[in-house]
Amino acid sequence: MSILRHTLLWTAALLAGAAGGAADIKIGLAEALTGGAAQYGVPIRNGFQLAADEINAKGGIQGSKILLVIEDEQGKKEEVINVFKKLIFQDKVLMIFGPTLSNSMFAAGPVANAAKVVAFGTSNTANGITDIGPYIFRNSVMESDVLPVTVATAVKHYKIKKVAVIYGNDDAFTKSGYDVFKKVLADQKIPVTATETYVKGDVDFKAQLTKIKATDPDAIVCSALAEEAANIMLQARSLGIKAPFIGGNGFNSPKLFEISKQAGDGTFVGSPWSNTNPDPANVHFVGAYKQKFGSEPNQFAAQAYDALHIAAAALKSIKLTGRLEADRQALRDALPKVSINGATGPFKFRPAAPKDGKPGGYDADQKPFIYILQQGKFNLYTGK
Amino acid sequence: MEWLANFWATYSTLVYSVGVFALMALSIWLTLACGLLSLANAAFMCIGAYVSALLSLHAGWPFGATLAAAGAAPALVALVIGMPTLRLSGVYLAMATLAFGEVVRIVVLNLEVTGGPEGLNGIPQSTTGWHILAILAVVVYGLLRLQRSRVGRAFEAIREDEVAASLMGINVARHKLFAFVLGAVIAGLAGGLNAHYTFFISPREYGFENAVDILTMVVLGGIGGLAGPMLGAAIITLLPELLRSLHEFRGIVNGLILVLVVLFLPKGIWDPRRLRALFGLGPGRDPGC
Repeated sequence: MSILRHTLLWTAALLAGAAGGAADIKIGLAEALTGGAAQYGVPIRNGFQLAADEINAKGGIQGSKILLVIEDEQGKKEEVINVFKKLIFQDKVLMIFGPTLSNSMFAAGPVANAAKVVAFGTSNTANGITDIGPYIFRNSVMESDVLPVTVATAVKHYKIKKVAVIYGNDDAFTKSGYDVFKKVLADQKIPVTATETYVKGDVDFKAQLTKIKATDPDAIVCSALAEEAANIMLQARSLGIKAPFIGGNGFNSPKLFEISKQAGDGTFVGSPWSNTNPDPANVHFVGAYKQKFGSEPNQFAAQAYDALHIAAAALKSIKLTGRLEADRQALRDALPKVSINGATGPFKFRPAAPKDGKPGGYDADQKPFIYILQQGKFNLYTGK
Repeated sequence: MEWLANFWATYSTLVYSVGVFALMALSIWLTLACGLLSLANAAFMCIGAYVSALLSLHAGWPFGATLAAAGAAPALVALVIGMPTLRLSGVYLAMATLAFGEVVRIVVLNLEVTGGPEGLNGIPQSTTGWHILAILAVVVYGLLRLQRSRVGRAFEAIREDEVAASLMGINVARHKLFAFVLGAVIAGLAGGLNAHYTFFISPREYGFENAVDILTMVVLGGIGGLAGPMLGAAIITLLPELLRSLHEFRGIVNGLILVLVVLFLPKGIWDPRRLRALFGLGPGRDPGC
């Protein structure tokens, strides 16, 4: 018993020392750094590290440095709950960024909300995320904000009368993208000639595309991840389908033209971020990211980078007292008022509509960029 | 005491998971005890989880009633699919039950009411440590009694030699079906408990990988007794969390430990005979050397 008590005392002393000695501002980061979702989680972590280094190099926030406590949540629901609890109750972070996937947020968000700690998603695009509660924030733009603009722009450009749809029906991301497309097409009164599905791992889409070809659509609406989308484009062209594609968030990856080359030319895509956006904040971000990590940034890194700057702006507007609960609450109350001009352009929050009388969290209020694919490259669509 | 409260706040979910996966391991152990290599238990867990979550979300049933349904629904399914498939044995049964697991996953993926690939979210958090502890205690006690009963002896006889058992007057098909259905009840309860502390379920959690994970727990722990599966479940659940400080190397070390255990302890960690031998040698030796 005495040994146990000793250990307890030591642990307590160490924890107290860690909390009291340094004046660092601890911010938790729960992302999928291994497993299937790591392709999103790793750029997100890089974006945060870049932003944290920049903020700390400029003297931090009121003299204290930002310390990122980074944990791998592997994209698994039990794991993500464990990570959230560890960050909240053991590392005693001020707020948490993450998790990577929308599904993980559905599992872990309630934990943070119940503990009155902000959970700030930078990559969760599913509907209903911010219904979890008033401590849930995100700066990722929902598909339901992007796709109506994408579709309307493409329809105007190509004078589209009717479209065909193809989507992955066993993946949360592509399926929810399809649901939004379906609603948008109905709202904009565009008839759908055929709706085809595939499952994850499919490589041959010829059967679906042949059916689509027979209905002679003016465009093909496609809710797919980049690799599948590229294959669909290649096979559509080889079948002689000339109709252009309209894509969702899954298209926003360099993989798309690595595989499809120029088969995707004419495709319309909406994205919250543009690598060629000439705004100085974005030019600086793209340059700094390349220099630090030696690779091209993507949308997820840009949103992560902006997210930390949003939090930093909120932290600068409040006075930290050192009392964890009061500070967490003060940060929560300061966040909605923040508006910045970051790598993704001008940003501010928009309160989610209350659901069943319960207050919701905060969604991103941002305009998407619309691109058209030309010569195997994303070009900002300017309306000409 | 504050430290304890803090510890519980951080790790309660982990402790719950140990309990739930101990139940899952016991459910597979039960079928293995009757000589059946069944991989359907993850699917039964899935059915239990979805049935109880849907009843909580849409019908507003009290938690106790949804748990009862979580046990009953997979039992009915097990009864229907058990009758034809349990005539298979060995690897053929494993294949049939594996296929059944895939069917369940794909049905859940394509149904409207289950939310498809997006799963169900906003499930109320009703499970407490006491629920899991109570159910685990009842299951362990029941299985202990079962082991010593006529039915338990019959299971053992079937596992050792089916033909000999049937010649002794044991109704092999009936006993197998009983083990299969009881295993489904336990797995369904585990699913119901799990759904009510993780807020969210999706078909991804009940795939082939998970079926194998649960089997690994039993193989790792040892199938000699009830302690083995529970020990295996605790290790497989806790190991990734204990290795968290290794960051990127966590997965590698985790796998390495499992490989070493299986290499050097082929009968699992909980092997009563080996433990007894160790214990028997212990007092005779000088602890100093």
